[in-house]
Amino acid sequence: MTKVFTDGLSFALPLLIMAVGAIYSEKSGVTNLAIEGFQGFGAFIGALIAVLLMPVMGNGSQAVIYIAMAGAALGGGVYACLHALLCINFKANQVISGVVINILSVALTAFFTSSANTAISGTSSNKLILGVSTRFSVPGLSDIPYAGGLFKNMYPFEIIIIALVLFFSYLMYKTRFGMMLRACGENPQAVDAAGGDVEKTRWIAVIISGALSGIGGICFAYSLLANFSPSIYLGYGYLAIAAMIFGNWNIGTTAIVCLIFGFAKSGGYQLCIAMGLPSNYSDLFLMLPYVLTMLLLIFFSKKNHPPKAAGEAWDKGKR
Amino acid sequence: MKTKRHILSSRLDGKYASVWVSVLAVVLTLITSGIILLLMGKNPLTAFYSFLQGCGLAPKANYGGGSGMLSDLSDFLNYLAPMLLASLAFIVGFKAGLFNIGIAGQMLLSGFAATVIVGYNRSLPAGLAKPLVAVIGIAVGGAAGALVGFLKYRFNIHEVVSTIMINYIISYLTGFFINNHFVDMLTRTSRICSPESRLTLTGVQIAGVNCKVPFGIVIALIMAFAVQFIFERTSFGFELKAVGRNIKCAKYIGIGVGKSLVLSMTFSGVLAGLAGVTYYLGYTNTIIPKTLVGMGYDSISVALLGNASPVGSIFAAFIVSIFQQGANYMSSIAGVAKEIASLITGILLLYASCGTYMKMKAHSVILRDASREEQRKEEET
Repeated sequence: MTKVFTDGLSFALPLLIMAVGAIYSEKSGVTNLAIEGFQGFGAFIGALIAVLLMPVMGNGSQAVIYIAMAGAALGGGVYACLHALLCINFKANQVISGVVINILSVALTAFFTSSANTAISGTSSNKLILGVSTRFSVPGLSDIPYAGGLFKNMYPFEIIIIALVLFFSYLMYKTRFGMMLRACGENPQAVDAAGGDVEKTRWIAVIISGALSGIGGICFAYSLLANFSPSIYLGYGYLAIAAMIFGNWNIGTTAIVCLIFGFAKSGGYQLCIAMGLPSNYSDLFLMLPYVLTMLLLIFFSKKNHPPKAAGEAWDKGKR
Repeated sequence: MKTKRHILSSRLDGKYASVWVSVLAVVLTLITSGIILLLMGKNPLTAFYSFLQGCGLAPKANYGGGSGMLSDLSDFLNYLAPMLLASLAFIVGFKAGLFNIGIAGQMLLSGFAATVIVGYNRSLPAGLAKPLVAVIGIAVGGAAGALVGFLKYRFNIHEVVSTIMINYIISYLTGFFINNHFVDMLTRTSRICSPESRLTLTGVQIAGVNCKVPFGIVIALIMAFAVQFIFERTSFGFELKAVGRNIKCAKYIGIGVGKSLVLSMTFSGVLAGLAGVTYYLGYTNTIIPKTLVGMGYDSISVALLGNASPVGSIFAAFIVSIFQQGANYMSSIAGVAKEIASLITGILLLYASCGTYMKMKAHSVILRDASREEQRKEEET
């Protein structure tokens, strides 16, 4: 039972940070289906830095992970500029742009991973081996029955993600910049009239979105997969978007939805083990988050209110 | 005085603007990927030529016994068929304003159903098995597409999110059944389907070399012209386009929007289903469990490069297929990882999606030049 909480949390938090990224972009008025591509590209840059640094700093050095996370945020942010350029400056269809970004990301990372492997180690593998991050337990709190699982065997990045989420929800709901960002997604004309710069605000929002997604991606690479390979494109970026939709574009509610996803996934897996089913059946349980997403979408999609101006290129002359 | 810039702009603003945008996208892609190849220390011209050689469009230096340029070409056509069908599937949805990202999943599901129902049934004669495979592809693909359209219309679920979720569900579900019931212990893929059910004849001797005869390419070309006809000449096609252009206007003039959404996704699914059976029971004869084919995404590049026109996509599918099908041979000749094929396709997609911007820019250049010309004339008089 405690394992359900432990694994659930370590799945839910990277998902949440990606969802926060998606919220930032959409609240500023740029529809963002490119989260999947951002997280993959960010994770690739982070993993590449980690692989290059590991021989220098010694294998198993934990500092590498933090540098990789910073690299992933940077990589995701830079890659997000492409989405911003297409959507904001070129006024391309934002859904097409998102899909293009995702496809290009898969192609870029797959190609450069095998090229980098050939250059570094001479083998033509499509994986950058990272290993799994170390874990720690919070003394005292982890001894609580059942719920103690939340504090047991935590990855260090979980703490960083919680801090980042708190900071970015403060930025969005309590500061002048956050208010302007939200206004850009509802009524950009009003922002323009009030002297704000709509395009600049949207650029910043999309870059934040890319950076946060990149962090989410490298966390998955360091926990679930223990490597970077094209198999990082598991559709979790889309799960984050789905979480954002149920969460009604609100960071607090989205956090709850992410936790539900996380616990459903780990709960299903533990159930599979507890029932003593052969390992072949784990495929059926891996399906659970996607099925749950579909069901939740069916029940909650009608009621929500997306930002009004999301999906439209901003036209200064429009009334 | 006409500058180069002016000529390019007038091409991009004229009657055949869409064609010129696609040509420009291809040229820019070749330049960009050429630069990437140069940076890696490879000769881009050799690499591009070996793509053509790998597809049987240019002669290779030497051939193995029993094979020749014609056998490579037949392989290429065998690959082109599902690619064209898949891009038609995307176009049909796209015209109605829907992004069918689930083509790969719909292909997998229909291919799986046809393999299990017909492919493993050894008693069926070829004359019965082949049409049955196509019918199953149409039915299963259509049903999968209709579900997405229904979810969009009834529950307002964005089709990009729902198709991705359904992709993963299909991938795990079919993977589970293949691994438990239909797996070939040696290759870890599904057991091969019977030659009677396969939509491609293999080992046919033409001009002294081993060739494949893909029926899929005939189906694909017929479907391309059929889709063109439906959108240009029928009221059904007009209604779909109207919904895609402006959903409120379509509702106002009395088009059943819900019906149109579901029908266009069904039609899209039908084409994806056909692509699935021509891929899994034609191009290959087995299914790799839990793997979605990249063709589902490549078809989006094809559709956008072909300017969402069915006949245009024949040319676009041809170009994209050259990169995908020729990649293995190129990799062996030029020593570049074969993943570069997907990278080139991705860059192509990127430029193709900037088409609107290119046209807009060209239009503004022409307007500006025209106003300058006028000003000059005024100053003269």
